[in-house]
Amino acid sequence: MGRNIAIKVARAQRDMTQKELAEAVGISRQTVNAIEQGEYNPTIKLCRAICRVLEKTLDDLFWEEKDDEQMEK
Amino acid sequence: MNRWKNKLDEMQEQKLLKIEHNGVWLAFWGLFATIIIQIIIGKENILRSIAGEWIVFMLLSGYMLAACIKNGIWDRRLSPNPKTNASVSLIAGIATGLILFALFYGNSHSITLSAVFGLCFSAGTFAVLFLVMSILSSLYKRRVNKLEADPGEPGGRKK
Repeated sequence: MGRNIAIKVARAQRDMTQKELAEAVGISRQTVNAIEQGEYNPTIKLCRAICRVLEKTLDDLFWEEKDDEQMEK
Repeated sequence: MNRWKNKLDEMQEQKLLKIEHNGVWLAFWGLFATIIIQIIIGKENILRSIAGEWIVFMLLSGYMLAACIKNGIWDRRLSPNPKTNASVSLIAGIATGLILFALFYGNSHSITLSAVFGLCFSAGTFAVLFLVMSILSSLYKRRVNKLEADPGEPGGRKK
């Protein structure tokens, strides 16, 4: 699993720290960090909660092109 | 606010489950090792000395067995077929035979008697275990068929 740059960018656009995003979503900062680092694969429920807070769609934050997925393998 | 509400998020919950998983296997093999060591070094009244550990070990094993079969899970790598059941039973039979051979030899110092004793227990353990595993794998297969059946299809689960 690669790093999730899209979340980091969306967070930066809204001028939010990892801690602020974590509090808004109701998770720990270490979980936000793990998602951004690609170390944790969140459930669809958590993905939706992050999207809602960052006002983005699932595609914006979590969609990966087929080439990217294959490169990770 | 509910004091007993889960304070962990999903990643922490998964990590805790992993920690608990490791703890259970540590307890399982720790109890198993304790029982074997007590059987080997115990002088008298071995049954009484291992009773506590044995009860906990059996409860743990029984729970895991029942929960796995109920959920249609057998093993990560092994398949419930006669060949695998025979291999597992054979390994357990040989291990039991060797332990009892060593124990009996320690008491009697007769290699022939100890070998016969060990072989008998080895064969007995193999037979009993193979029978139990065959019954369990048949129960497992029946359960999986029930779980996998499409309720909409004929022969599926009742609505």
